[in-house]
Amino acid sequence: MVIAQCKNLIKIYPGAQNFRALDEVSLSIESGEFVSIMGPSGCGKSTLLNILGLLDEPTGGEYLLNGMPTAKLNDVRRTKLRRHQIGFIFQSFNLMPRLSVLENIALPMRYTNVSREEILPRARELAARVGLEKKLHSTPLQLSGGQCQRVACARSLANKPSMILADEPTGNLDSKSSADILTLLKELNDGGMTIIMVTHDLKIAAGTHRTIHMKDGKIV
Amino acid sequence: MRLPDLMATGWTEIWAHKMRSFLSFFAIAIGIATFFYTLSILSQKYSRLHDAAEIAGAGRLETKTFHPLTLVQYKDLKMRLPEGSSLSFTTEASWVQSGEGWNTLFHKGNQLVGSIVYGILPSFKDADFVYRLEGRFINWQDVENKSRVIVLVVFPHEKKKKEWHGWWERENVLTLEDYSAHHHLLQQQVVLNNQTFTVVGILHLPTQDKDLRLENKREWIPTLYIPFTTWYDLYSNENENRQVSIRVVTGKESTARNAAGTLTSYLRSQFGPEEKPEIEFFRDKIEKHVKNARKSLNNMLFMGIIAMIAGGIGIMNVTMAVIFSRTKEIGIRRALGASRKDILFQFVVEAMLLGLCGAVAGMILGYMAVLHLAEDTSQMTFSWWVVALSVLIALVTSFLFALYPAWQAAKLKPVEALKNE
Repeated sequence: MVIAQCKNLIKIYPGAQNFRALDEVSLSIESGEFVSIMGPSGCGKSTLLNILGLLDEPTGGEYLLNGMPTAKLNDVRRTKLRRHQIGFIFQSFNLMPRLSVLENIALPMRYTNVSREEILPRARELAARVGLEKKLHSTPLQLSGGQCQRVACARSLANKPSMILADEPTGNLDSKSSADILTLLKELNDGGMTIIMVTHDLKIAAGTHRTIHMKDGKIV
Repeated sequence: MRLPDLMATGWTEIWAHKMRSFLSFFAIAIGIATFFYTLSILSQKYSRLHDAAEIAGAGRLETKTFHPLTLVQYKDLKMRLPEGSSLSFTTEASWVQSGEGWNTLFHKGNQLVGSIVYGILPSFKDADFVYRLEGRFINWQDVENKSRVIVLVVFPHEKKKKEWHGWWERENVLTLEDYSAHHHLLQQQVVLNNQTFTVVGILHLPTQDKDLRLENKREWIPTLYIPFTTWYDLYSNENENRQVSIRVVTGKESTARNAAGTLTSYLRSQFGPEEKPEIEFFRDKIEKHVKNARKSLNNMLFMGIIAMIAGGIGIMNVTMAVIFSRTKEIGIRRALGASRKDILFQFVVEAMLLGLCGAVAGMILGYMAVLHLAEDTSQMTFSWWVVALSVLIALVTSFLFALYPAWQAAKLKPVEALKNE
């Protein structure tokens, strides 16, 4: 089953030169796939990921999420889809510095109708899954980079999304932590999770099912 | 996001930025203090006016005449008034230099004190009588016989309040209440203008917070009541027209106008058509008081509004700064599934929490202001509606002023907010 399908996606950043970040990108990602996207800086990887994550809108072309066209959705619908279908992992972790590990993991659930009683037990469960059951009440400042990224992984799973978008998740980590995160992502993928990951690291990309190479806004 | 979560988030942020939060909190607090002060005094004035109306009796009216009134006229007029009405005459105050009697009553070295003497009728007791009586009151027999009897008015010992603007010392004045506390005054002989009187009663006024009449200014000169007829005998002369107050209390507001008509026509029948008594209805008087109270507090209220606007601008400024510094956070929250509404509420709730804290602090400040600045702290009453209104004002102000910046935050595009470092 195709989970994400792009047809001739165009993204132009308006300006003096009308920079084309995406130039007729077409691609299709199957449910359960682990896909890496590689390419030099400015090739449009992150732009593509933002569009796939409904954080940004394409200038042209079509993006179907679970078979549903997304072009005409309003902000409320897009937010709902993002909340329930997509989990994000960022290069710089993007954790809330003042919240505990547990609260960071619980945060996406706070924006859903999940009852308050269910939120924390589920967050605990997720923390255990990424091996942080002993750090529940630490704040991100007290954690190592690898641990922070684990929190982010757990957080991305909070609302049981159908796919995870990871933007250079190992970019800020040492090789040991990078390997750990890759293992974790692989485990998730083995559990059936679709993962799309932007990376610069060939070794990391080699661990995925498929690698998409991009250059100048095009898939090559 | 649910409200408790929003509040928890807001509280964390307020606590994380103590100085910034304190500034807008402070601005709101000042505004609320002004409001609280004004509203407290207003509320107290209203409730006292209401109580005053109650003890003064329904259907109360007053007028004055410069013609001397006699007992025959009293009976005549009383007959014509609506049934159940009370009628009372009171002479104007007469300043009487105390004779030897007072000199011996007061210790040497203390200032000689004169006294104010009113001539009254026993029906004086029918309305706004707030005294506790020791001995007896002036009765009709005293009036008929023009007895030389005195009823003293003794003010209660008030808690001493520091006089900020007092320019003369009252310490050397031995007041009647000081004196009566240590001496038995009933049945004492007192000489006023070479006339010997006997003290038959002492009226103890309640403390000011329990005295609900409108005009209960503290007199520093002893006040004495003597029979109406005795007063006329001693203190009026043919050449001088002395004023008499006539008070009617009908017991019902509906009969007040009727009684006023009767009173006017009676005075005219007695003293000729040029007699044009000005009738003052107590209800009108109350309304006038309310109007005056409102007028004098309008200025304060205006100051309060200005302070609240300043506080609101403070809140707005802080919220804008907060949003600017937390753009990235907004982006993350949006990526994690926060809707525009969630973001809007987050900042509005945070501002309203600040407003609430400001309100609490402001009320404490305002209460202290009431205790230290109000003319009449003994009459200060605590009312819940003032608290509720102050909190409401703070919440509404912070809500309104946070709305625009919060809306700006909610409008941010997730991808652009995320790029912000």
